[in-house]
Amino acid sequence: MKKGNKYGTHRVIEPKGVLPQPANKIDNNMDEIYDNEILIDVQTLNIDSASFTQIEEQAGGDKAEIARIMLDIVAKQGKHRNPVTGSGGMLLGTVEKIGDALIGKTDLKVGDKIATLVSLSLTPLRIDKIKDIRPDIDQVDIDGKAILFESGIYAKIPSDMPETLALSALDVAGAPAQTAKLVKPGDTVLIIGAGGKSGMLCCYEAKKRAGVTGKVIGLCHSEKSTKRLIELDLCDYVFAADATQPVPILEKIEELTNGQLCDVIINNVNITDTEMTSILTTKDGGIVYFFSMATSFTKAALGAEGVGKDVNMIVGNGYTRGHAEITLQILRESDKLRKVFTELYA
Amino acid sequence: MKKGCRYGTHRVLSPLGTLPQPALKLDNSTDIYDNEVLIDVSTLNIDSASFTQIKQACGNDPAKMEEMILSIVKERGKLQNPVTGSGGMLIGTVKKIGESFPKNRIKIGDRVATLVSLSLTPLKINAIKSINPSSDQVDVDAQAILFESGLFAILPDDIPEKLALAALDVAGAPAQVDRLVTEGDIVCIIGGGGKSGILCCYQAMLNAGPSGKVIVVEFSAENAKRIEKLNLATDIIVADATNVMDVYNKVMSITGGRGCDVTVNNVNVPSTEMTSILITKGQGYVYFFSMATSFTKAALGAEGVGKDINLIVGNGYAKGHANLTLNIIRESKEIRDLFEKLYV
Repeated sequence: MKKGNKYGTHRVIEPKGVLPQPANKIDNNMDEIYDNEILIDVQTLNIDSASFTQIEEQAGGDKAEIARIMLDIVAKQGKHRNPVTGSGGMLLGTVEKIGDALIGKTDLKVGDKIATLVSLSLTPLRIDKIKDIRPDIDQVDIDGKAILFESGIYAKIPSDMPETLALSALDVAGAPAQTAKLVKPGDTVLIIGAGGKSGMLCCYEAKKRAGVTGKVIGLCHSEKSTKRLIELDLCDYVFAADATQPVPILEKIEELTNGQLCDVIINNVNITDTEMTSILTTKDGGIVYFFSMATSFTKAALGAEGVGKDVNMIVGNGYTRGHAEITLQILRESDKLRKVFTELYA
Repeated sequence: MKKGCRYGTHRVLSPLGTLPQPALKLDNSTDIYDNEVLIDVSTLNIDSASFTQIKQACGNDPAKMEEMILSIVKERGKLQNPVTGSGGMLIGTVKKIGESFPKNRIKIGDRVATLVSLSLTPLKINAIKSINPSSDQVDVDAQAILFESGLFAILPDDIPEKLALAALDVAGAPAQVDRLVTEGDIVCIIGGGGKSGILCCYQAMLNAGPSGKVIVVEFSAENAKRIEKLNLATDIIVADATNVMDVYNKVMSITGGRGCDVTVNNVNVPSTEMTSILITKGQGYVYFFSMATSFTKAALGAEGVGKDINLIVGNGYAKGHANLTLNIIRESKEIRDLFEKLYV
């Protein structure tokens, strides 16, 4: 077997010297794998929602046309990176072959069912046939193969829950796992965007880690998600507010914490201009974790300096060791959350 | 006097309900509220990303640059570059202090540098006295407002003002390095040859000690030579920080494949996120001081390569940052001489 690069640069065809994600074309020849790659027999592609929506619109909702567009993307790029949105998604499949250099180093064996947790925007993919398209949940069943690089992350699909349920939770696995790492017993935690998919998982994990001496506050936006979160009974306090309005939220948090403010803020909302709300509600020396992809780096950096807040601001990393296990465990522990996830996302 | 909000929201004209920094327009009238300080401004130290953008947009023409700065302030009531979003800082003399501003911190006539960004500081420029494309310090006749939450430093009498200003401008960076770097660490400073880079190198060498390593990645061979001469690094790489694999291979060869415990990114060009991420070892820290950092490139980039590392948004403020930075200038004659030559 040929020796491969850890990050998959050996598959980049052009432009040379870049990583697989920004590359325009990567080599998707699966007849022969490199010594540090894993070959996957793909069952389902879970297309990123922004990407799927774009393809569906371009195809005018016609399934045959959706299939043609998808095949065309992969034929041109060797991966399923939507040329308009730039995004990918993830996939579900079975391990077919493991490179020599990984034997003994990976916990995977041939025949394991896995979900890749790296983006399809950097994953070498070959589609032989599109079998079924399910537009309501952005999933496409195919016959095809994919390559997982040595640096690529994945999760084994558990046998004690439906595949679609596991996939929907794994999609946001980073957030609850980082919450688990950050929150200490006795902490006061504010979850901004607490009613969404990743928010609910974070609330559960925050309460578990903060314990009875800690306090978890959930901030939601819509009436529906507020009601749902109150019913789930994951937080010590839940309220609805517009997260782009820092001053009223600061006043509310001062009241709820006797002016002490929060040790940890987890920001999960996908709207812009919530940086200052996060910074102002954190106590000096506290931590703001930005999971929202709508976060502006300069607004956060200059914002904290501007109000003289000595807080630690962290860029949400979708990957942390053990993230899949932590997240799937939540669905095992909480029947209520599992039920909500099954209804909403599976 | 009218009562003001601690964070200066009373000065926001649009959109209402936001803080002064994200606001599009501030009230820059010089009638102060009860918790504000009025400053007679002598020099603006424009943020380097902003100054570079202004310089490029004006083709290095000082007259056009002057016009552009005046028009930004006229439109927004503050000097916040609409393209980069960044500001800078200023020095001036305290002219008036509101009755509710915290007591005994400051007195009329004090020479101060504000350590909050110009991107949120109400500013009125009467005239620009001198501007030079090669220096980001612009002399002005102007007034500015410091809010109750605003940070400032009283200028020391043992360091010339402009030198102090140049150093205080990047005070956050060495102070954060001081917190992050411990003995024996391998540290990489990307953009180590610039102003903030040099201070970071000094602090990193001090904290990492003889068993640690400080690797500098620098684009300009001239800057690299300077770092070498000042003995501010153990290893120097001259490379383009946007060329991920080139820098990665060089850092790996220096570190024996281990990567770095702490990576500090100080460069003011885009697309250096992946370089910073790849050279950092698992559980290590990347500190992004560069205002050209893209949040999504950093977040999705780390996930894409499966790196469990801490990505930190550079906070320009850390307690004690002004003193720490001025002390570097006091301790290192070489850095003091260099800063005087380059930035004053």
